[in-house]
Amino acid sequence: MALKVQPLQCTGCRICEFACNYHHDTTISPIGSSIMFYFEEKKNYYGLMVKRDKSLLLGRPEGEKVLLPGEQIEGAGASAKPILLRVACDLCKDEDNGPVCIQACPYGVLSVEGA
Amino acid sequence: METMNTYNGTILVVDLDAQTCTTEELSTDLIEQGLGGAGINLLLYEQYKDRNPLVLGSGLLTATFAPAACCGVMTAKSPVTGQIAHVPFGWQTGVEMKLTGFDFVVILGTSPKPVRLWLHDGLSDINDAADIWGKDVWASVDKIREAYGDEMVQTLIIGPAGENKQSLAQVCENYWGSKDKAGLGAVFGAKNLKAVAMRGLGSLEVAEGFFQKCMELKNEIVGGSIKGKAGLYDIGAALGIDATALEKMKTMIHRNNAAYNCPYPYYTFLKYNEPPAAMDMKGHAEPGCLVSDIAGFAALAATGSDPARAFERCCRFGLEPLGTAAALKKQGAGDVAQIDKLAGTGTAEGIPVWPVCVDQQQAIMAITKALSFAVPPRAPFSQDGGAQTWVARQAVAYLLGIDPVIMLLAPELTEEKLAALVALAADWDDFSADTLKKIANAVITKST
Ligand code: SF4
Ligand code: SF4
Repeated sequence: MALKVQPLQCTGCRICEFACNYHHDTTISPIGSSIMFYFEEKKNYYGLMVKRDKSLLLGRPEGEKVLLPGEQIEGAGASAKPILLRVACDLCKDEDNGPVCIQACPYGVLSVEGA
Repeated sequence: METMNTYNGTILVVDLDAQTCTTEELSTDLIEQGLGGAGINLLLYEQYKDRNPLVLGSGLLTATFAPAACCGVMTAKSPVTGQIAHVPFGWQTGVEMKLTGFDFVVILGTSPKPVRLWLHDGLSDINDAADIWGKDVWASVDKIREAYGDEMVQTLIIGPAGENKQSLAQVCENYWGSKDKAGLGAVFGAKNLKAVAMRGLGSLEVAEGFFQKCMELKNEIVGGSIKGKAGLYDIGAALGIDATALEKMKTMIHRNNAAYNCPYPYYTFLKYNEPPAAMDMKGHAEPGCLVSDIAGFAALAATGSDPARAFERCCRFGLEPLGTAAALKKQGAGDVAQIDKLAGTGTAEGIPVWPVCVDQQQAIMAITKALSFAVPPRAPFSQDGGAQTWVARQAVAYLLGIDPVIMLLAPELTEEKLAALVALAADWDDFSADTLKKIANAVITKST
């Protein structure tokens, strides 16, 4: 099972990112989340990446891509780099109502694949 | 009361005359009196009123999980009205300021030379701005992000119009326009303040049960009046904005974006230098412009100019689009190049007037001129409550840091539900909707 992103439905509201930090750390902050919003603002190019156990999911507007260790992050902007230091998505397995990022997203962008 | 759940507890006082930054504690007293946003801004404005203050304030709920809690508020004397104006700043800028560790920033006096204020991780620096003074907004934002090595730096920034202290100037949010229809761009310029740059990687505590309550309210909003609607286009269509302008907009829509935690995406990105459907990032370096001001867009279209390119010029020069359109019309020029000249000569002729809902705007202005007409004068998707209700609900949004456009679009955001969120977030048991409304009303009556 893994978190899935439909990048073109995303509006960039970033609340999934803050919700994920809350799941890991019980605070409001953008720095401890497994899911991260990235943005090339002048081009309005944005998407989400998810740090998984052994890979990185890039939810880019031109399509999803899974990166394995050692592969370069490209097409995700320079703001993407810190994701490599983050904790991996645990699918919120200890949360009563399931993944908090999915609960928080107002646009139904996120889902669990293989559930 | 445990308001430190939603605040950092710090006020920054920037003295531009002396080039110093000092901090003060955000007291419980101040929060009880003014709650936050425009409420506390006004108290700080009064405290420092001999020093020509510009106050930037977070709302009590800004950056929390409360739906649409994305805004801060700027408070200063408006060169357009000669009175106190409160201007919400949103997109990602309101949240960023709170996460820098400073809840309120009081900017006093005038800098002897052009500067930018850099807020990050609980630190504040007054940095020289000689490298960007005279540059347009887009080039300046690029430079600032490069200088601080982070493309997520958020800025409140002015262009040449603000530097020239023109009342038609607008404070911009990064590359784009803002809710500033009060000429606060000229206030920045008069202070020799080119920008406030912010990067916030701080954190706030969350009260038990707060997240779930916020999710319930968000779900109610998503299933309510805004259901099935998106973007600036739908707002414009519901308000009766000129169909030709809307159809022109439709041909350029790339994506609809939302500000932090907002359940309705009213920031519409228009692409005109490459096909709107282009989704990769290989194409044009500057493919288009983000537009959140449907009145400004339609008014620019009515001058006969290409509205998207004209809007971009307004953003680059830091000009308020609706007033710019009025000035162009007066000159009889629909030429985009004329906009550049307004950066040196653009005087606002009062608060800019919407091309639709004129009566309701007049009725609101008879009550107050302190709030922003970046927000439509009437509700597009639900029963409108009239001018009094508009003012009362907007004022509540300005205290709590709720996006004022979402406050208008979503009647589900009631004062009662917002008061319950405040009570929970701040562990403030006896906080009620009546207290909220009373403080909001006081802000309106005192903002003259
Ligand atoms: S499922 Fe949970 S851990 Fe994974 S990204 Fe979403 S919030 Fe974070
Ligand atoms: S919450 Fe949803 S819409 Fe908002 S940034 Fe995350 S995925 Fe995109």
